[in-house]
Amino acid sequence: MSAAIASRMVRADLLKLRKKPGTVIWSFVLALAPLLIFFIVRAAQHSSNPAEHPPAGGADGFVDALRILAAFFGPLAAIMIGAEGGAGDVASGVFRDLVVTGRSRVALFMTRVPAALALTWVVTCAGYALLAIGTFALASGSPTPSASQMLNGLVFSLFSTSVICIVAVGLAALTASRPATLTVLIGWHLVASPILGSISSLGSSRKLILNQGVNHFSPVRLGEHNANVAMGGTTAVIVVLVWLALFTALGAWRTRTMDA
Amino acid sequence: MPTQPNEHSRSDLAIETRGLTKRFGARAAIDGVDLRVPRASAFGFLGPNGAGKTTMIRTLLGLTSASEGSMAILGLPVPAERARALRDVGAIVEEPRFHGHLTGRENLRIIAAARGPEVDARIAPALARVGLADRADEKVKRYSLGMRQRLGVARCLLADPQLLILDEPTNGLDPAGIQEFREMIRSLVEEEGRTVFLSSHLLDEVERICDAAAIVDRGHVVSQGPIAELAGEGARNELIVGVDSPEDALALLARSELVREAARSDEGLRVVLAGEHDSAAAVNAMLVQAGVGVLRLEPVRHSLERRFLEITARLDEPEPTAVESEVGA
Repeated sequence: MSAAIASRMVRADLLKLRKKPGTVIWSFVLALAPLLIFFIVRAAQHSSNPAEHPPAGGADGFVDALRILAAFFGPLAAIMIGAEGGAGDVASGVFRDLVVTGRSRVALFMTRVPAALALTWVVTCAGYALLAIGTFALASGSPTPSASQMLNGLVFSLFSTSVICIVAVGLAALTASRPATLTVLIGWHLVASPILGSISSLGSSRKLILNQGVNHFSPVRLGEHNANVAMGGTTAVIVVLVWLALFTALGAWRTRTMDA
Repeated sequence: MPTQPNEHSRSDLAIETRGLTKRFGARAAIDGVDLRVPRASAFGFLGPNGAGKTTMIRTLLGLTSASEGSMAILGLPVPAERARALRDVGAIVEEPRFHGHLTGRENLRIIAAARGPEVDARIAPALARVGLADRADEKVKRYSLGMRQRLGVARCLLADPQLLILDEPTNGLDPAGIQEFREMIRSLVEEEGRTVFLSSHLLDEVERICDAAAIVDRGHVVSQGPIAELAGEGARNELIVGVDSPEDALALLARSELVREAARSDEGLRVVLAGEHDSAAAVNAMLVQAGVGVLRLEPVRHSLERRFLEITARLDEPEPTAVESEVGA
Protein backbone atom coordinates (compact mmCIF):
# COMPACT_ATOMS: atom_id res chain seq x y z
CA MET A 1 0.00 0.00 0.00
CA SER A 2 1.43 3.36 -1.00
CA ALA A 3 1.92 6.21 1.47
CA ALA A 4 -0.65 8.26 -0.44
CA ILE A 5 -3.35 5.62 -0.01
CA ALA A 6 -2.39 5.09 3.63
CA SER A 7 -2.70 8.83 4.19
CA ARG A 8 -6.14 8.89 2.52
CA MET A 9 -7.31 5.97 4.63
CA VAL A 10 -6.08 7.63 7.83
CA ARG A 11 -7.94 10.81 6.87
CA ALA A 12 -11.06 8.75 6.18
CA ASP A 13 -10.77 7.08 9.58
CA LEU A 14 -10.28 10.48 11.20
CA LEU A 15 -13.37 11.75 9.39
CA LYS A 16 -15.43 8.95 10.96
CA LEU A 17 -14.10 9.84 14.41
CA ARG A 18 -14.27 13.60 14.32
CA LYS A 19 -17.83 13.55 13.00
CA LYS A 20 -19.02 11.22 15.74
CA PRO A 21 -20.68 13.70 18.09
CA GLY A 22 -20.92 11.46 21.15
CA THR A 23 -17.27 10.47 21.05
CA VAL A 24 -15.97 13.98 20.38
CA ILE A 25 -18.17 15.78 22.92
CA TRP A 26 -17.56 13.32 25.72
CA SER A 27 -13.84 13.21 25.04
CA PHE A 28 -13.62 16.96 25.37
CA VAL A 29 -15.84 16.89 28.45
CA LEU A 30 -13.56 14.31 30.08
CA ALA A 31 -10.43 16.26 29.21
CA LEU A 32 -11.71 19.72 30.14
CA ALA A 33 -14.48 19.49 32.74
CA PRO A 34 -12.46 17.93 35.61
CA LEU A 35 -9.69 20.50 35.12
CA LEU A 36 -12.21 23.31 35.02
CA ILE A 37 -13.88 22.07 38.19
CA PHE A 38 -10.49 21.64 39.85
CA PHE A 39 -9.38 25.19 39.09
CA ILE A 40 -12.74 26.73 40.04
CA VAL A 41 -12.91 24.92 43.37
CA ARG A 42 -9.26 25.58 44.23
CA ALA A 43 -9.59 29.25 43.24
CA ALA A 44 -12.70 29.61 45.40
CA GLN A 45 -10.98 27.94 48.35
CA HIS A 46 -7.92 30.11 47.95
CA SER A 47 -9.90 33.30 47.71
CA SER A 48 -11.93 32.41 50.79
CA ASN A 49 -8.91 31.41 52.91
CA PRO A 50 -5.51 32.12 51.29
CA ALA A 51 -3.62 31.10 54.40
CA GLU A 52 -4.95 27.58 54.46
CA HIS A 53 -5.48 26.94 50.73
CA PRO A 54 -2.69 27.50 48.20
CA PRO A 55 -3.40 29.18 44.87
CA ALA A 56 -5.23 27.12 42.27
CA GLY A 57 -2.43 27.66 39.78
CA GLY A 58 1.31 27.93 40.14
CA ALA A 59 3.68 24.99 40.49
CA ASP A 60 1.47 23.15 42.98
CA GLY A 61 -1.61 23.59 40.90
CA PHE A 62 0.32 22.42 37.85
CA VAL A 63 1.23 19.12 39.50
CA ASP A 64 -2.33 18.39 40.57
CA ALA A 65 -3.76 19.47 37.24
CA LEU A 66 -1.26 17.32 35.35
CA ARG A 67 -2.27 14.38 37.52
CA ILE A 68 -5.89 14.99 36.59
CA LEU A 69 -5.22 15.34 32.88
CA ALA A 70 -2.39 12.90 32.20
CA ALA A 71 -3.08 10.18 34.73
CA PHE A 72 -6.86 10.03 34.99
CA PHE A 73 -9.24 11.87 32.71
CA GLY A 74 -7.07 12.31 29.62
CA PRO A 75 -6.60 8.54 29.38
CA LEU A 76 -10.36 8.08 29.81
CA ALA A 77 -10.94 10.35 26.82
CA ALA A 78 -8.30 8.41 24.90
CA ILE A 79 -10.01 5.13 25.76
CA MET A 80 -13.29 6.46 24.38
CA ILE A 81 -11.63 7.54 21.16
CA GLY A 82 -9.63 4.35 20.79
CA ALA A 83 -12.68 2.16 21.40
CA GLU A 84 -14.62 4.02 18.73
CA GLY A 85 -11.69 3.92 16.34
CA GLY A 86 -11.08 0.21 16.84
CA ALA A 87 -14.65 -1.06 16.74
CA GLY A 88 -16.55 1.64 14.85
CA ASP A 89 -16.46 -0.06 11.45
CA VAL A 90 -17.62 -3.38 12.83
CA ALA A 91 -20.32 -1.78 14.98
CA SER A 92 -21.74 0.15 12.05
CA GLY A 93 -21.52 -2.86 9.72
CA VAL A 94 -19.25 -1.07 7.27
CA PHE A 95 -16.26 -3.29 7.91
CA ARG A 96 -17.35 -5.85 5.33
CA ASP A 97 -17.70 -3.12 2.72
CA LEU A 98 -14.15 -2.04 3.43
CA VAL A 99 -13.00 -5.64 3.12
CA VAL A 100 -14.77 -5.91 -0.24
CA THR A 101 -12.55 -3.12 -1.60
CA GLY A 102 -9.78 -5.71 -1.61
CA ARG A 103 -7.64 -3.60 0.70
CA SER A 104 -5.58 -5.62 3.17
CA ARG A 105 -7.36 -6.15 6.46
CA VAL A 106 -4.20 -5.42 8.37
CA ALA A 107 -3.98 -2.09 6.54
CA LEU A 108 -7.60 -1.40 7.50
CA PHE A 109 -6.63 -1.95 11.12
CA MET A 110 -3.37 -0.08 11.08
CA THR A 111 -4.83 3.12 9.63
CA ARG A 112 -7.22 3.34 12.57
CA VAL A 113 -4.34 3.87 14.96
CA PRO A 114 -3.00 7.21 13.65
CA ALA A 115 -6.56 8.47 13.14
CA ALA A 116 -7.45 7.73 16.77
CA LEU A 117 -4.16 9.23 17.90
CA ALA A 118 -4.79 12.41 15.94
CA LEU A 119 -8.11 13.04 17.68
CA THR A 120 -6.62 12.04 21.03
CA TRP A 121 -3.85 14.59 20.58
CA VAL A 122 -6.32 17.35 19.75
CA VAL A 123 -8.35 16.57 22.87
CA THR A 124 -5.24 16.26 25.03
CA CYS A 125 -3.82 19.52 23.71
CA ALA A 126 -7.11 21.27 24.46
CA GLY A 127 -6.97 19.93 28.00
CA TYR A 128 -3.35 20.98 28.34
CA ALA A 129 -4.14 24.46 27.08
CA LEU A 130 -6.71 24.80 29.86
CA LEU A 131 -4.14 23.43 32.32
CA ALA A 132 -1.59 26.01 31.21
CA ILE A 133 -4.07 28.85 31.43
CA GLY A 134 -5.14 27.82 34.92
CA THR A 135 -1.56 27.28 36.05
CA PHE A 136 -0.46 30.78 35.10
CA ALA A 137 -3.66 32.79 35.45
CA LEU A 138 -4.41 31.46 38.93
CA ALA A 139 -0.85 31.46 40.28
CA SER A 140 -1.60 34.45 42.57
CA GLY A 141 2.08 35.34 42.77
CA SER A 142 3.28 31.84 43.65
CA PRO A 143 6.12 30.23 41.64
CA THR A 144 5.09 28.91 38.25
CA PRO A 145 6.51 25.97 36.27
CA SER A 146 9.38 26.65 33.91
CA ALA A 147 8.98 26.43 30.15
CA SER A 148 10.77 23.08 30.12
CA GLN A 149 8.47 21.73 32.84
CA MET A 150 5.48 22.88 30.83
CA LEU A 151 6.87 21.22 27.72
CA ASN A 152 7.62 18.00 29.61
CA GLY A 153 4.12 18.05 31.00
CA LEU A 154 2.66 18.35 27.51
CA VAL A 155 4.84 15.58 26.13
CA PHE A 156 3.95 13.31 29.03
CA SER A 157 0.22 14.04 28.65
CA LEU A 158 0.41 13.17 24.97
CA PHE A 159 2.45 10.08 25.75
CA SER A 160 0.15 8.71 28.43
CA THR A 161 -3.03 9.29 26.41
CA SER A 162 -1.45 7.94 23.22
CA VAL A 163 -0.38 4.69 24.86
CA ILE A 164 -3.81 3.92 26.28
CA CYS A 165 -5.45 5.03 23.02
CA ILE A 166 -3.44 2.50 21.02
CA VAL A 167 -4.21 -0.21 23.55
CA ALA A 168 -7.90 0.70 23.25
CA VAL A 169 -7.82 0.50 19.44
CA GLY A 170 -6.25 -2.94 19.66
CA LEU A 171 -8.62 -4.21 22.33
CA ALA A 172 -11.66 -2.83 20.50
CA ALA A 173 -10.58 -4.55 17.29
CA LEU A 174 -9.99 -7.75 19.26
CA THR A 175 -13.39 -7.74 20.97
CA ALA A 176 -15.22 -5.98 18.11
CA SER A 177 -17.19 -4.29 20.87
CA ARG A 178 -17.06 -0.71 22.11
CA PRO A 179 -18.97 -1.39 25.35
CA ALA A 180 -16.70 -4.30 26.26
CA THR A 181 -13.60 -2.25 25.52
CA LEU A 182 -14.80 0.73 27.51
CA THR A 183 -15.78 -1.43 30.47
CA VAL A 184 -12.55 -3.41 30.55
CA LEU A 185 -10.17 -0.53 30.03
CA ILE A 186 -11.89 1.99 32.27
CA GLY A 187 -12.12 -0.67 34.97
CA TRP A 188 -8.48 -1.52 34.46
CA HIS A 189 -7.34 2.08 34.41
CA LEU A 190 -9.38 3.46 37.29
CA VAL A 191 -9.75 0.45 39.57
CA ALA A 192 -7.54 -2.52 38.87
CA SER A 193 -4.26 -0.75 38.07
CA PRO A 194 -4.19 1.47 41.20
CA ILE A 195 -5.20 -1.43 43.43
CA LEU A 196 -2.64 -3.81 41.99
CA GLY A 197 0.01 -1.10 42.08
CA SER A 198 -0.56 -0.54 45.78
CA ILE A 199 -0.27 -4.19 46.77
CA SER A 200 3.34 -4.23 47.83
CA SER A 201 3.36 -8.01 48.27
CA LEU A 202 3.19 -8.29 44.47
CA GLY A 203 6.72 -6.89 44.48
CA SER A 204 8.45 -6.29 41.17
CA SER A 205 5.71 -8.05 39.19
CA ARG A 206 3.86 -4.73 39.48
CA LYS A 207 6.26 -3.40 36.90
CA LEU A 208 4.19 -5.24 34.31
CA ILE A 209 1.25 -2.91 34.94
CA LEU A 210 0.97 -0.47 32.05
CA ASN A 211 0.36 2.57 34.25
CA GLN A 212 3.54 1.87 36.17
CA GLY A 213 5.57 1.92 33.01
CA VAL A 214 3.85 5.05 31.70
CA ASN A 215 4.05 6.92 35.01
CA HIS A 216 7.79 6.35 35.12
CA PHE A 217 8.11 9.07 32.49
CA SER A 218 6.01 11.61 34.36
CA PRO A 219 7.79 14.90 35.10
CA VAL A 220 5.90 15.04 38.41
CA ARG A 221 5.13 12.38 40.99
CA LEU A 222 1.79 10.75 40.21
CA GLY A 223 -0.30 8.84 42.73
CA GLU A 224 0.44 7.81 46.27
CA HIS A 225 3.95 6.95 47.34
CA ASN A 226 3.31 3.22 47.69
CA ALA A 227 1.38 3.06 44.41
CA ASN A 228 4.47 3.77 42.36
CA VAL A 229 6.89 0.96 41.66
CA ALA A 230 10.49 1.94 41.14
CA MET A 231 11.86 0.77 37.81
CA GLY A 232 14.57 1.72 35.40
CA GLY A 233 13.95 3.66 32.21
CA THR A 234 14.74 0.66 30.03
CA THR A 235 12.31 -1.52 31.93
CA ALA A 236 9.62 1.12 31.64
CA VAL A 237 10.19 1.42 27.89
CA ILE A 238 10.01 -2.36 27.51
CA VAL A 239 6.81 -2.58 29.57
CA VAL A 240 5.12 0.09 27.47
CA LEU A 241 6.34 -1.38 24.18
CA VAL A 242 5.18 -4.87 25.13
CA TRP A 243 1.69 -3.58 25.92
CA LEU A 244 1.57 -1.65 22.64
CA ALA A 245 2.92 -4.53 20.58
CA LEU A 246 0.64 -7.06 22.24
CA PHE A 247 -2.60 -5.16 21.72
CA THR A 248 -1.66 -3.95 18.26
CA ALA A 249 -0.84 -7.50 17.22
CA LEU A 250 -4.05 -8.88 18.76
CA GLY A 251 -6.14 -6.22 17.05
CA ALA A 252 -4.49 -6.79 13.69
CA TRP A 253 -4.80 -10.56 14.03
CA ARG A 254 -8.48 -10.38 14.87
CA THR A 255 -9.18 -7.93 12.06
CA ARG A 256 -7.39 -10.21 9.61
CA THR A 257 -9.10 -13.41 10.65
CA MET A 258 -12.62 -12.45 11.68
CA ASP A 259 -15.67 -13.15 9.54
CA ALA A 260 -16.75 -9.81 8.14
CA MET B 1 -18.24 1.51 -19.37
CA PRO B 2 -16.20 -0.58 -17.00
CA THR B 3 -12.49 -0.64 -17.50
CA GLN B 4 -11.24 -3.50 -19.62
CA PRO B 5 -10.21 -6.63 -17.79
CA ASN B 6 -6.49 -6.88 -17.38
CA GLU B 7 -4.60 -9.58 -19.19
CA HIS B 8 -4.76 -11.92 -16.23
CA SER B 9 -8.53 -11.86 -16.09
CA ARG B 10 -9.60 -12.67 -19.61
CA SER B 11 -11.82 -15.53 -18.61
CA ASP B 12 -15.24 -15.86 -20.17
CA LEU B 13 -16.58 -16.40 -16.72
CA ALA B 14 -17.09 -13.68 -14.17
CA ILE B 15 -17.41 -16.22 -11.37
CA GLU B 16 -16.37 -19.84 -11.37
CA THR B 17 -16.43 -22.15 -8.39
CA ARG B 18 -15.57 -25.80 -8.11
CA GLY B 19 -16.67 -27.88 -5.18
CA LEU B 20 -16.99 -24.78 -3.04
CA THR B 21 -17.95 -25.69 0.49
CA LYS B 22 -18.40 -23.65 3.62
CA ARG B 23 -19.04 -25.42 6.89
CA PHE B 24 -20.09 -23.94 10.19
CA GLY B 25 -19.20 -26.74 12.55
CA ALA B 26 -20.78 -29.91 11.21
CA ARG B 27 -23.33 -28.04 9.09
CA ALA B 28 -22.48 -27.20 5.50
CA ALA B 29 -24.07 -23.89 4.54
CA ILE B 30 -22.86 -24.39 0.97
CA ASP B 31 -21.80 -27.80 -0.14
CA GLY B 32 -19.76 -28.64 -3.22
CA VAL B 33 -21.06 -25.76 -5.30
CA ASP B 34 -19.98 -25.64 -8.95
CA LEU B 35 -21.05 -22.32 -10.37
CA ARG B 36 -20.32 -20.74 -13.74
CA VAL B 37 -21.43 -17.16 -14.21
CA PRO B 38 -20.83 -15.84 -17.72
CA ARG B 39 -19.52 -12.33 -18.21
CA ALA B 40 -21.78 -9.49 -19.34
CA SER B 41 -24.92 -11.15 -18.06
CA ALA B 42 -27.34 -10.76 -15.19
CA PHE B 43 -27.17 -13.98 -13.23
CA GLY B 44 -29.67 -14.86 -10.54
CA PHE B 45 -28.77 -16.93 -7.52
CA LEU B 46 -32.17 -18.11 -6.52
CA GLY B 47 -33.13 -19.96 -3.40
CA PRO B 48 -35.42 -19.89 -0.41
CA ASN B 49 -34.36 -18.19 2.80
CA GLY B 50 -31.60 -20.16 4.47
CA ALA B 51 -30.52 -21.92 1.28
CA GLY B 52 -26.98 -20.56 1.51
CA LYS B 53 -27.15 -17.59 -0.83
CA THR B 54 -25.58 -15.04 1.49
CA THR B 55 -22.94 -17.50 2.67
CA MET B 56 -22.03 -18.10 -0.96
CA ILE B 57 -21.61 -14.38 -1.55
CA ARG B 58 -19.66 -13.87 1.65
CA THR B 59 -17.34 -16.72 0.69
CA LEU B 60 -16.81 -15.37 -2.82
CA LEU B 61 -15.91 -11.97 -1.43
CA GLY B 62 -13.53 -13.31 1.18
CA LEU B 63 -15.68 -12.10 4.06
CA THR B 64 -15.48 -15.63 5.36
CA SER B 65 -13.08 -18.35 4.34
CA ALA B 66 -14.07 -21.40 2.30
CA SER B 67 -13.76 -24.80 3.90
CA GLU B 68 -13.08 -26.60 0.61
CA GLY B 69 -13.06 -26.07 -3.10
CA SER B 70 -11.72 -23.41 -5.42
CA MET B 71 -13.09 -20.21 -6.87
CA ALA B 72 -12.12 -17.55 -9.37
CA ILE B 73 -13.49 -14.06 -9.79
CA LEU B 74 -12.99 -12.39 -13.14
CA GLY B 75 -10.52 -15.11 -13.99
CA LEU B 76 -8.38 -14.54 -10.93
CA PRO B 77 -8.05 -17.28 -8.33
CA VAL B 78 -9.40 -16.31 -4.95
CA PRO B 79 -8.13 -15.97 -2.25
CA ALA B 80 -4.65 -16.01 -3.84
CA GLU B 81 -5.40 -12.96 -6.03
CA ARG B 82 -8.24 -11.63 -3.97
CA ALA B 83 -7.08 -8.03 -3.79
CA ARG B 84 -6.67 -7.77 -7.57
CA ALA B 85 -9.94 -9.52 -8.25
CA LEU B 86 -11.93 -7.31 -5.89
CA ARG B 87 -10.54 -4.15 -7.43
CA ASP B 88 -13.11 -4.63 -10.19
CA VAL B 89 -15.95 -5.87 -8.01
CA GLY B 90 -18.72 -3.94 -6.28
CA ALA B 91 -20.92 -5.71 -3.77
CA ILE B 92 -23.84 -5.30 -1.45
CA VAL B 93 -23.97 -8.02 1.17
CA GLU B 94 -27.26 -8.34 3.05
CA GLU B 95 -28.69 -4.97 4.04
CA PRO B 96 -26.36 -2.14 3.02
CA ARG B 97 -24.82 -0.59 6.13
CA PHE B 98 -23.26 2.82 6.58
CA HIS B 99 -21.93 5.19 9.20
CA GLY B 100 -25.20 6.85 10.12
CA HIS B 101 -23.50 9.95 11.52
CA LEU B 102 -21.89 10.69 8.16
CA THR B 103 -23.56 11.97 5.01
CA GLY B 104 -24.07 9.80 1.97
CA ARG B 105 -21.20 11.53 0.21
CA GLU B 106 -18.88 11.12 3.19
CA ASN B 107 -19.70 7.42 3.37
CA LEU B 108 -18.66 7.08 -0.24
CA ARG B 109 -15.47 9.03 0.49
CA ILE B 110 -14.58 6.42 3.13
CA ILE B 111 -14.77 3.64 0.56
CA ALA B 112 -13.09 5.75 -2.12
CA ALA B 113 -10.16 6.30 0.23
CA ALA B 114 -9.64 2.56 0.49
CA ARG B 115 -10.03 1.96 -3.24
CA GLY B 116 -7.63 4.60 -4.51
CA PRO B 117 -7.33 8.26 -5.48
CA GLU B 118 -8.85 7.79 -8.93
CA VAL B 119 -12.14 6.79 -7.29
CA ASP B 120 -12.90 10.26 -5.89
CA ALA B 121 -14.00 11.42 -9.33
CA ARG B 122 -16.63 8.66 -9.44
CA ILE B 123 -18.48 9.75 -6.29
CA ALA B 124 -20.65 12.44 -7.85
CA PRO B 125 -21.58 10.41 -10.97
CA ALA B 126 -22.41 7.39 -8.81
CA LEU B 127 -24.70 9.47 -6.59
CA ALA B 128 -26.36 10.96 -9.66
CA ARG B 129 -26.77 7.54 -11.22
CA VAL B 130 -28.81 6.27 -8.28
CA GLY B 131 -30.79 9.49 -7.91
CA LEU B 132 -29.23 10.63 -4.66
CA ALA B 133 -27.35 13.70 -5.84
CA ASP B 134 -29.79 16.04 -4.09
CA ARG B 135 -29.70 14.15 -0.80
CA ALA B 136 -26.01 13.27 -0.77
CA ASP B 137 -25.14 15.76 1.93
CA GLU B 138 -27.74 14.56 4.40
CA LYS B 139 -26.74 12.24 7.19
CA VAL B 140 -27.42 8.61 6.32
CA LYS B 141 -29.29 8.03 9.57
CA ARG B 142 -32.07 10.11 8.02
CA TYR B 143 -32.21 7.97 4.87
CA SER B 144 -35.04 5.53 4.24
CA LEU B 145 -34.17 1.89 3.60
CA GLY B 146 -34.76 2.47 -0.09
CA MET B 147 -32.31 5.38 -0.12
CA ARG B 148 -29.77 3.22 1.67
CA GLN B 149 -30.19 0.56 -0.99
CA ARG B 150 -29.51 3.18 -3.64
CA LEU B 151 -26.50 4.43 -1.76
CA GLY B 152 -25.32 0.83 -1.55
CA VAL B 153 -25.50 0.57 -5.32
CA ALA B 154 -23.63 3.88 -5.62
CA ARG B 155 -20.96 2.45 -3.35
CA CYS B 156 -20.68 -0.54 -5.70
CA LEU B 157 -20.32 1.72 -8.70
CA LEU B 158 -17.31 3.44 -7.15
CA ALA B 159 -15.26 0.44 -8.17
CA ASP B 160 -16.29 0.94 -11.82
CA PRO B 161 -16.99 -2.76 -11.45
CA GLN B 162 -16.86 -5.40 -14.11
CA LEU B 163 -18.81 -7.52 -11.65
CA LEU B 164 -21.55 -6.44 -9.25
CA ILE B 165 -22.56 -8.87 -6.54
CA LEU B 166 -25.89 -7.91 -5.03
CA ASP B 167 -27.52 -9.76 -2.16
CA GLU B 168 -31.31 -9.35 -2.13
CA PRO B 169 -30.95 -5.87 -3.61
CA THR B 170 -34.59 -4.89 -3.89
CA ASN B 171 -35.37 -5.40 -0.21
CA GLY B 172 -36.95 -2.23 1.09
CA LEU B 173 -37.58 -0.65 -2.30
CA ASP B 174 -41.06 0.54 -3.19
CA PRO B 175 -42.61 -0.69 -6.47
CA ALA B 176 -41.36 2.32 -8.40
CA GLY B 177 -37.92 1.84 -6.90
CA ILE B 178 -37.93 -1.83 -7.84
CA GLN B 179 -38.83 -0.98 -11.41
CA GLU B 180 -36.08 1.63 -11.57
CA PHE B 181 -33.66 -0.84 -10.08
CA ARG B 182 -34.50 -3.48 -12.67
CA GLU B 183 -33.96 -1.00 -15.45
CA MET B 184 -30.66 0.04 -13.96
CA ILE B 185 -29.45 -3.55 -13.73
CA ARG B 186 -30.43 -4.25 -17.32
CA SER B 187 -28.69 -1.06 -18.39
CA LEU B 188 -25.53 -2.04 -16.52
CA VAL B 189 -25.53 -5.37 -18.34
CA GLU B 190 -26.77 -4.48 -21.81
CA GLU B 191 -25.33 -1.02 -22.31
CA GLU B 192 -22.21 -1.19 -20.21
CA GLY B 193 -21.27 -4.84 -20.49
CA ARG B 194 -21.00 -5.42 -16.75
CA THR B 195 -21.85 -8.68 -15.02
CA VAL B 196 -24.44 -8.67 -12.27
CA PHE B 197 -24.67 -11.57 -9.84
CA LEU B 198 -27.88 -11.15 -7.94
CA SER B 199 -29.11 -13.33 -5.11
CA SER B 200 -32.80 -13.37 -4.39
CA HIS B 201 -35.63 -15.44 -3.07
CA LEU B 202 -38.01 -13.47 -5.32
CA LEU B 203 -38.69 -15.55 -8.40
CA ASP B 204 -40.35 -12.79 -10.33
CA GLU B 205 -37.38 -10.53 -9.75
CA VAL B 206 -34.89 -13.05 -11.08
CA GLU B 207 -37.10 -13.96 -14.02
CA ARG B 208 -37.50 -10.32 -15.03
CA ILE B 209 -33.94 -9.17 -14.51
CA CYS B 210 -31.69 -12.11 -15.19
CA ASP B 211 -30.48 -13.88 -18.29
CA ALA B 212 -29.45 -16.98 -16.41
CA ALA B 213 -29.77 -18.33 -12.92
CA ALA B 214 -28.79 -21.03 -10.51
CA ILE B 215 -31.31 -22.53 -8.13
CA VAL B 216 -29.84 -23.29 -4.75
CA ASP B 217 -31.39 -25.52 -2.15
CA ARG B 218 -29.84 -26.45 1.19
CA GLY B 219 -26.41 -25.32 0.06
CA HIS B 220 -26.48 -27.28 -3.20
CA VAL B 221 -26.88 -25.80 -6.66
CA VAL B 222 -29.75 -27.89 -7.95
CA SER B 223 -29.86 -26.48 -11.44
CA GLN B 224 -28.31 -23.65 -13.44
CA GLY B 225 -28.56 -22.25 -16.92
CA PRO B 226 -30.48 -19.72 -18.99
CA ILE B 227 -33.81 -18.72 -17.45
CA ALA B 228 -35.87 -20.18 -20.29
CA GLU B 229 -34.11 -23.51 -20.01
CA LEU B 230 -34.45 -23.57 -16.26
CA ALA B 231 -38.14 -22.82 -16.42
CA GLY B 232 -38.80 -25.45 -19.06
CA GLU B 233 -36.46 -28.04 -17.64
CA GLY B 234 -38.41 -31.21 -16.87
CA ALA B 235 -41.65 -29.52 -17.76
CA ARG B 236 -44.48 -31.22 -19.58
CA ASN B 237 -45.66 -29.99 -22.95
CA GLU B 238 -49.12 -28.71 -22.12
CA LEU B 239 -51.91 -26.84 -23.86
CA ILE B 240 -55.04 -25.09 -22.71
CA VAL B 241 -57.71 -25.79 -25.32
CA GLY B 242 -61.03 -23.97 -25.48
CA VAL B 243 -63.69 -25.83 -27.50
CA ASP B 244 -67.43 -25.55 -28.19
CA SER B 245 -68.13 -29.18 -27.20
CA PRO B 246 -65.83 -30.34 -24.43
CA GLU B 247 -67.28 -33.84 -24.11
CA ASP B 248 -66.68 -34.64 -27.78
CA ALA B 249 -63.25 -33.13 -27.64
CA LEU B 250 -62.27 -35.13 -24.55
CA ALA B 251 -63.41 -38.33 -26.23
CA LEU B 252 -61.31 -37.56 -29.30
CA LEU B 253 -58.28 -36.57 -27.30
CA ALA B 254 -58.47 -39.69 -25.17
CA ARG B 255 -58.17 -41.84 -28.28
CA SER B 256 -55.38 -39.80 -29.88
CA GLU B 257 -51.76 -40.94 -29.83
CA LEU B 258 -50.75 -37.29 -29.80
CA VAL B 259 -52.11 -36.84 -26.32
CA ARG B 260 -50.80 -38.29 -23.11
CA GLU B 261 -53.66 -37.01 -20.95
CA ALA B 262 -56.53 -34.54 -21.13
CA ALA B 263 -58.89 -33.21 -18.50
CA ARG B 264 -61.25 -30.36 -17.82
CA SER B 265 -59.92 -27.35 -15.99
CA ASP B 266 -61.24 -23.91 -15.09
CA GLU B 267 -59.60 -22.47 -18.17
CA GLY B 268 -60.79 -25.14 -20.62
CA LEU B 269 -59.31 -28.49 -21.43
CA ARG B 270 -55.83 -29.05 -20.12
CA VAL B 271 -54.03 -31.28 -22.59
CA VAL B 272 -50.66 -32.91 -21.99
CA LEU B 273 -49.04 -33.72 -25.31
CA ALA B 274 -47.14 -36.90 -25.86
CA GLY B 275 -44.68 -35.35 -28.30
CA GLU B 276 -43.08 -32.00 -29.11
CA HIS B 277 -44.70 -28.59 -29.47
CA ASP B 278 -45.32 -29.28 -33.17
CA SER B 279 -48.03 -31.74 -32.17
CA ALA B 280 -50.17 -28.84 -30.93
CA ALA B 281 -50.97 -28.01 -34.57
CA ALA B 282 -51.86 -31.64 -35.20
CA VAL B 283 -54.19 -31.67 -32.19
CA ASN B 284 -55.87 -28.54 -33.52
CA ALA B 285 -56.32 -30.09 -36.97
CA MET B 286 -57.68 -33.31 -35.49
CA LEU B 287 -60.33 -31.47 -33.46
CA VAL B 288 -61.36 -29.22 -36.35
CA GLN B 289 -61.57 -32.15 -38.79
CA ALA B 290 -63.85 -33.95 -36.29
CA GLY B 291 -66.16 -30.95 -36.27
CA VAL B 292 -65.16 -29.58 -32.86
CA GLY B 293 -64.91 -25.80 -32.86
CA VAL B 294 -61.58 -24.69 -31.37
CA LEU B 295 -62.01 -21.35 -29.65
CA ARG B 296 -58.60 -21.15 -28.05
CA LEU B 297 -55.35 -23.10 -28.08
CA GLU B 298 -52.60 -21.82 -25.88
CA PRO B 299 -49.36 -23.41 -24.75
CA VAL B 300 -48.95 -23.43 -21.00
CA ARG B 301 -46.02 -21.18 -20.11
CA HIS B 302 -43.79 -22.87 -17.59
CA SER B 303 -42.43 -20.19 -15.32
CA LEU B 304 -39.35 -20.23 -13.21
CA GLU B 305 -41.70 -20.02 -10.28
CA ARG B 306 -43.20 -23.38 -11.10
CA ARG B 307 -39.78 -24.96 -11.44
CA PHE B 308 -38.57 -23.31 -8.27
CA LEU B 309 -41.57 -24.48 -6.32
CA GLU B 310 -41.14 -28.01 -7.60
CA ILE B 311 -37.63 -28.01 -6.23
CA THR B 312 -38.18 -26.19 -3.00
CA ALA B 313 -41.35 -28.10 -2.16
CA ARG B 314 -38.96 -30.79 -1.05
CA LEU B 315 -37.75 -28.51 1.70
CA ASP B 316 -40.47 -29.81 3.95
CA GLU B 317 -39.23 -33.33 3.46
CA PRO B 318 -36.53 -34.54 5.83
CA GLU B 319 -33.05 -34.65 4.37
CA PRO B 320 -32.19 -38.14 3.14
CA THR B 321 -29.67 -40.05 5.17
CA ALA B 322 -26.42 -41.07 3.55
CA VAL B 323 -27.73 -44.63 3.02
CA GLU B 324 -30.93 -43.36 1.42
CA SER B 325 -28.92 -41.06 -0.84
CA GLU B 326 -26.80 -43.92 -2.07
CA VAL B 327 -29.85 -46.09 -2.71
CA GLY B 328 -31.48 -43.19 -4.53
CA ALA B 329 -28.40 -42.65 -6.64
